[in-house]
Amino acid sequence: MKNEVIIEIKNLTKYFPLTSGLIRQKKVAELRAVDGVSFAIHRGETLGLVGESGCGKTTLGKCLLQLYRATSGQVLFDGKDLCQLSNKELRPLRRNLQLIFQDPYDSLDPRFTASDIIGEPMRIHNMHRTPAYQKRIDELINIVGLSPYMADRYPHEFSGGQRQRLGIARALALQPGFIVCDEPISALDVSIQAQIINLLDDLREKFGIAYLFISHDLAVVRHISDRVAVMYLGKLMEVADRDSLYESPLHPYTQALLSAVPIPDPTVEKKRNIIILKGEVPSPINPPAGCVFHPRCFKVYEPCPTTVPQLADIGGGHQVACLHYPNSWPKSE
Amino acid sequence: MTVITDTVRPHRSLWGDAFIRLRRNRLAVTGGVIILLIALTTIIYPFFSRYDFASQDLNAILQSPSMKHFLGTDELGRDVFTRLIYGARTSLSVGIFTQLIVLGIGLPLGAISGAAGGRADNLIMRFVDVIYAFPDLLLIILLRAILGGSIYMIFLAIGLVSWVNVARLVRGQTLALKQRDFVTAARVFGGFGSYITTRHLLPNSLGPVIVAVTFNIPRAIFAEAALAYIGIGVKPPTPSWGAMIRDGNNVIFAAPHLVLFPAIAIGILMLSFTFLGDGLRDALDPRLRR
Amino acid sequence: MSDKPLLEVRNLSTYFYTQDGIVKAVDGVSYAVDRGETIALVGESGCGKTVSALSILRLIPEPPGKIASGEILFDGIDILTLPKDRMLDIRGDRIAMIFQEPLTALNPVLTIGLQITEALERHRNMHGAVALEEAIRLLKIVGIPQPDQRVKDYPHQFSGGMRQRAMIALAISCEPELIIADEPTTVVDVTIQAQLLELIRGITEKLNTALILITHNLGIVARYAHRVYVMYAGHIIEHGSSQDIYHHPCHPYTIGLLASVPRLDEPRKTRLQPIEGQPPDLIQLPPGCAFGPRCSYVIDACRQAAPPMTEVSPGHYAACRLAVPDRKQS
Repeated sequence: MKNEVIIEIKNLTKYFPLTSGLIRQKKVAELRAVDGVSFAIHRGETLGLVGESGCGKTTLGKCLLQLYRATSGQVLFDGKDLCQLSNKELRPLRRNLQLIFQDPYDSLDPRFTASDIIGEPMRIHNMHRTPAYQKRIDELINIVGLSPYMADRYPHEFSGGQRQRLGIARALALQPGFIVCDEPISALDVSIQAQIINLLDDLREKFGIAYLFISHDLAVVRHISDRVAVMYLGKLMEVADRDSLYESPLHPYTQALLSAVPIPDPTVEKKRNIIILKGEVPSPINPPAGCVFHPRCFKVYEPCPTTVPQLADIGGGHQVACLHYPNSWPKSE
Repeated sequence: MTVITDTVRPHRSLWGDAFIRLRRNRLAVTGGVIILLIALTTIIYPFFSRYDFASQDLNAILQSPSMKHFLGTDELGRDVFTRLIYGARTSLSVGIFTQLIVLGIGLPLGAISGAAGGRADNLIMRFVDVIYAFPDLLLIILLRAILGGSIYMIFLAIGLVSWVNVARLVRGQTLALKQRDFVTAARVFGGFGSYITTRHLLPNSLGPVIVAVTFNIPRAIFAEAALAYIGIGVKPPTPSWGAMIRDGNNVIFAAPHLVLFPAIAIGILMLSFTFLGDGLRDALDPRLRR
Repeated sequence: MSDKPLLEVRNLSTYFYTQDGIVKAVDGVSYAVDRGETIALVGESGCGKTVSALSILRLIPEPPGKIASGEILFDGIDILTLPKDRMLDIRGDRIAMIFQEPLTALNPVLTIGLQITEALERHRNMHGAVALEEAIRLLKIVGIPQPDQRVKDYPHQFSGGMRQRAMIALAISCEPELIIADEPTTVVDVTIQAQLLELIRGITEKLNTALILITHNLGIVARYAHRVYVMYAGHIIEHGSSQDIYHHPCHPYTIGLLASVPRLDEPRKTRLQPIEGQPPDLIQLPPGCAFGPRCSYVIDACRQAAPPMTEVSPGHYAACRLAVPDRKQS
């Protein structure tokens, strides 16, 4: 069913304690990488997650896959809360949850051949002693557009784009229903990026995979996502379906982000006025009080430094966390 | 979907690549060849030699090099060349077998320390620190006194002291490798600790470990010679270069060749391993691939 | 206003001699910048844009690199023939560079203040308190808050965007006539990128500094460059004014590149149009046009000999046999 939810997170937080001290480590501060995030992804849907460095999007992706254990909150998959499961209990479920990495150079073991790399998930799940194993590897190599005689080559013999295809083939090996794509194209050349995006798109159509597509490239996210979430300092600022977000962004941060993306057209650029945010992206160690975005916000007004806006639906599935919208105001008990 | 065709560079594995680079380093190749020659000689020579390392000829003591005795004789009339070759066997076997012990202890301890982290890591590393704090030669002497003088005990004594830097090295490598994405990938698929350690972490640590072991060998050789020199080395009559120097010291003015040849031999063997180690390090360094 | 360009690169070739073969990183490249003008060198990794810039400043490590041929005329003088010490006078003073990664470009053991005053002492003969004041003023210009305190900080105490600003301050400290910015915003976030680029533009306009902007980001080129040079595999395959390149691209590579990038101002396409194939191996370039293997318009002649640079319209050149204006309108 297209509308069935495949994975849902509820109030996920991930805090990293910062300790100092020689013998007894004392907690001196907390890095709030993810600070209360909730969303749901449906079968076959792509949720784009955008934000700048330090916003926590990568940490969120890893928490989803239980590579980091969340500090609190739930990750609901297949009726179970993954956060409550032990590593052992998670193992069989891991077949359904995969990850595609940003760095095509680092994500492949340099000592494994291409076949080894693609087959690794199957070997880990003890599926490699069957004749179907080799067949599946050949099939996957084909699906991602690599030529079969490269199967015995080592990663350093492939180009960046080809390595990324290997990583994708590996992620597909166990027929997952959900893949977290962590900046899968930002390390690739521009002309290759489009190839990989098309590949991901095709695979989604063919196999009905749901993606969490993490990226800072807003144009690419618009192309591939069904819905988009904007993250800043560990919190969601705005969530909407793709067209709504790009055509009528509500949150000032979203507006600034979209405005900051230059268009490859000099005539358009000459006429465009862009929003320049002041200041730097603050550190998640000491997030600002109230609305975390307020120090840089060009629409800031009095309640912002003291009141934390809630992510609220203002109609049509478009959610925003900004005090300019009445639904965002915290409900008084 | 377009099928990607590949460039036409020759297919080379990472080891093959490293080997080719090693071959270009003339010093390393020289070192390697010398080691091989010495090793071969120690194996083949016993079948051809006229003399045994222990056969004495009291009529021909302290002779200089001649046709009959290639490098002369010592104070008991034994052929120096023969004793040198057998001494080489001692040194080489010490060099190699101690490293087996080093790897046997250092690799797993380092890997566990790095992979497990936390308390295990802390414990193991403090233990390593303690051993490292002792001057190694003294510790070796102590162990030798406890364990006795058979060559196997010498292996053990030296090995038990030298594993420390390999353990540290493997731990460092493992810690760094744990952060790499391909390890994260394996975890995502459900790979657990021991699988990741054996299939990913250890193979990728091998490079620096090989280099470290190659540099360890001359130190082991020297340690054995030092032990023999102060009189607590391998029990005679098994020849050892260190013992030969010690004995030759007494008659150094009358027959300097008795000290000279073993000393040169130690030097050559140690240098050869060092050059080889240097070459290996450069060849295996992935950063120099450009 | 002199007619001569401030910097003119003529037929530059820079090769690297490696154990696998000769890498022709830059092969017969020519471009020019006028005073106060901003040009962009656009291309993907390995196209040679950074190497050509390093060649201008003679920062190519020799070995394994070597500037094999060509001339680089700066204000009329061929700087490739200058002795080392004269080159040092120019570098930093008249030509400055902003690097991609400020962490590696700035000296980690010297404070920012020291690094700037060092340049001021060498090139503008300022010392002591005078130099320090100037350093603080520069930090203020680039928008670093509390410059009088931050001047004593070390590079690692700055955030990424601030470090880049510090590097810009260092670059403009001696009021150079030309700034070369090599991927200045690749490592920063898009909102910081906007800040930095606007800052750079403000500075270059105010001081009438020429700017060579090296990047693979087609958007920022469109926004900030007057003229654009598109590079591929060590060659310039198309160049012209910004309008020409974006609205009337002629070379199939340029066309392909522009078509493959999703744009926020256009309706969403159902499928992107990538350029097929892989980036070329610079050691084993195909005979003829380097882009041939990936070109959808390739003909036999392309495989035999490199195509000549043709003038498609005044000031707009493309190195393609089939270069016809308006092959694809934008």
